[in-house]
Amino acid sequence: MTIMTELKHSWIITIKEFRQLSRKKALMIPLFLFPIIMIVFFGYGMGGTVKNAPILIINDDTGTASNSLVQEIGSYTPKYGGDPMFSVTYTKDMSQSEAKSKIDYGSYKAVLIIPQDYSERLAKNETTTLTLLTDSSDTTTSGIIINFMKQFLAKTGSVSLNIPDVYGDLEYLDFLTPAVIALTIFFGSVATTGSAIAGEIEDGTIIRILMTPVSKRSVILGKTVYQLILQLARAVILIFAAFAIMGFNMNGSWLLVALVLVIFTLGGVGLGIVMSAIAGDMESFFQLNMIVTLPSMFITGVFFPLSSVPDWMRYIAYLLPLTYANDAMRAVMIKGQGLDVIGTDLVVLSLFALITFTAGVHLFRREA
Amino acid sequence: MEPIIEVRNLTKVFLSRGRKITAVNDISFDVFKGEIFGMIGPNGAGKSTTFSMLTTLIKPTNGSIKVAGFDVEKEDDRIRPIIGIVPQKLSLYPDLTGRENLELMGKLYDVPKKLMEERIDYYLRLVDLEAHADRFTGGFSGGMKQRLSVICAVLHDPEIIFWDEPTTGLDPQTRQAIWRLAKKFNGEGKTLIFTTHYMEEADNLCDRVAVMNLGKMVALDEPASLKEKSGSANLEEAFIHLTGEEVRD
Repeated sequence: MTIMTELKHSWIITIKEFRQLSRKKALMIPLFLFPIIMIVFFGYGMGGTVKNAPILIINDDTGTASNSLVQEIGSYTPKYGGDPMFSVTYTKDMSQSEAKSKIDYGSYKAVLIIPQDYSERLAKNETTTLTLLTDSSDTTTSGIIINFMKQFLAKTGSVSLNIPDVYGDLEYLDFLTPAVIALTIFFGSVATTGSAIAGEIEDGTIIRILMTPVSKRSVILGKTVYQLILQLARAVILIFAAFAIMGFNMNGSWLLVALVLVIFTLGGVGLGIVMSAIAGDMESFFQLNMIVTLPSMFITGVFFPLSSVPDWMRYIAYLLPLTYANDAMRAVMIKGQGLDVIGTDLVVLSLFALITFTAGVHLFRREA
Repeated sequence: MEPIIEVRNLTKVFLSRGRKITAVNDISFDVFKGEIFGMIGPNGAGKSTTFSMLTTLIKPTNGSIKVAGFDVEKEDDRIRPIIGIVPQKLSLYPDLTGRENLELMGKLYDVPKKLMEERIDYYLRLVDLEAHADRFTGGFSGGMKQRLSVICAVLHDPEIIFWDEPTTGLDPQTRQAIWRLAKKFNGEGKTLIFTTHYMEEADNLCDRVAVMNLGKMVALDEPASLKEKSGSANLEEAFIHLTGEEVRD
C-alpha cells in the first residue's frame, strides 16, 4: 500500500470521527465550553486578593481620632480591584468573646477592636494597641487581612496590633484539608458511579442485571452502599494522611464529619446516576462530568476563599453543593462547631441528595 | 394446547423528535407451553420491541400481554423469576471470570448456593467451558460468550427462555452447539421464544414461526405450512413472499 493510499485512508477515518462527534450533542457542548469556563474561573479565582470581606469594627474610642482610621479601612480599594476590600459593620460595647462567636458563625471574616483610650493615648503620643480577631479557618483571607492591617497601621507609627489565635496556629493546609476531602468525595462519588453505570449501559451488562427479578431500586441502592463505603474509606485515608504526614489540626466532632460526608456522598451518587442516564455512554459521560464537576473545584472555595472571587462568581458558587460541603467541613474540622452552625449546609446538602436521587431513580430505565 | 403467553392487541408507539413511530401495531397471538416459537422479520419489523415487551423491559402503549397468567404491566415481578433471557448483546462483565458472572446471575435469581454451584458445574460441562470457567470473560471468544450467556439465563431453571438473535455472528460449530442446547432445553419441557434473521435457523428449530413486517404480524404458522401456502421451496422464499423484496433501514 502506498503512502498516499495510507494518507487517504487516514483522512477518511478523520472525517468519520468528526462526523461521529457532530452527532454527539451531549459531548459537543462540554467539549468546547469547558476550556472557556476554565479560563474564566482560573483568571478570576486565582486573583489573590480579597473583596468585600465582611469585617466588624468595634469602636469603643471615646474620642474622635479613630474616625479617620475606620473611614480609611472602610473605603480601601485594592490596587487591581474595583471593589472595596472590606464590607464594614460598625458597633461598640461588644466583648471579645461575643466578637469571636460572630466569627464562629461565619458572620465576619475579622473583627477589629479599637480601645476606649485610643484618641487619648494618641494625643499623648503614647502607643496604643488594637485587637484584631480573624477567621483563621480561612487562612488565605485571614493572612491577607492581617498583612493589610499591619501595613496600614505601620503608617501611623504609634499603633500596634494584638492578634490572638482564634482557632490555634493554623496553616494553609488546615484551610485546604477539609475542602479537599469534600472535593475528593464529590469527584469520586460522581465519577465512579456515573462512569460505572454509563459503561454498563454501553456494554449492556446493566440491562442484563435488570432482566433479573432485581428491582432498579435495589440496583441503585447496591451501587450507593458501595459508594458510601468506598468514599468514606477514601476520606479516612485522606484525613489519616493529613494527620500523619502534615500534622493537620482537628478541632471538631468526627461524627459530624461523617454525617456531612454521608449526605454529600449520597448527593454525588445521585448526580452520577443522573449524568450517566443523560450521557448514555462512557465518552459522553466523561465530557459531561468535566463540565459539571470541575468548575466546582475552582469556584467553591476549595483552594482560595470565596471572598476573593467577584460577586457573580460567588453567586454561582452558592448554587453548587460543594460550597456547602466545604463550609460545613471547615466549620466542624477547624472551628469545632456543631449542628447549630452547619444546619443550613446540611439542609442544602440533603436537598441536593434528595433531588438528584429522585431524578436518578426516575431516569434509570429498565429498557436498553 | 395450553397457551403460556397470551398477547392481545399489542401496540407500542415511540416518540422520536416529536414524531410518533408505531413500532408494533395491534398484534395478537398465543405461544403454547413447550413449543419453540420463532419471530422473524426484516429490520424495523417490530421483533425487538415485541421481545422487549414480552420480557417486561418496556411497557406496551396499548393491549395486553400475559406470561404464565401474569400481566406484564402489573405483575412483572412475578414474571421475571420464571423467564430466562439471552440478550443479543452478550452483556457479560469482562473483568469477572466466567464462574463469577454465573454466580452473580444465580444470586440475583435467588438460586440456593449449593444448587447454584451444582448447576454451574453441570452447565459449564454441558457447554464445554469447564476449563475456562476461571478466566476473565473479557478474553472469551464470541462463541464462548454466547455459550456462557445462555447458562446465565437458565441457572434459575426458567419455564420460558427468550432468546434474541441466538447465533448472529457465530461459526457453524457454535451455531450447531447452540441449536443442540435449544433442543435440549425444549426437551426438558421449557418454552423457547426466538428472534432470528436466519431462516434456516427458524426452519430447523421452530415449531411455529411468526412473520412480522412493519409492526404487523403478517403470518403465524408452522414453517412447513408457511412454505406450502406461499408455494416456496424454503422458508427464506416464503419470508420474501410475505414481506417483500424491498431493503429495510
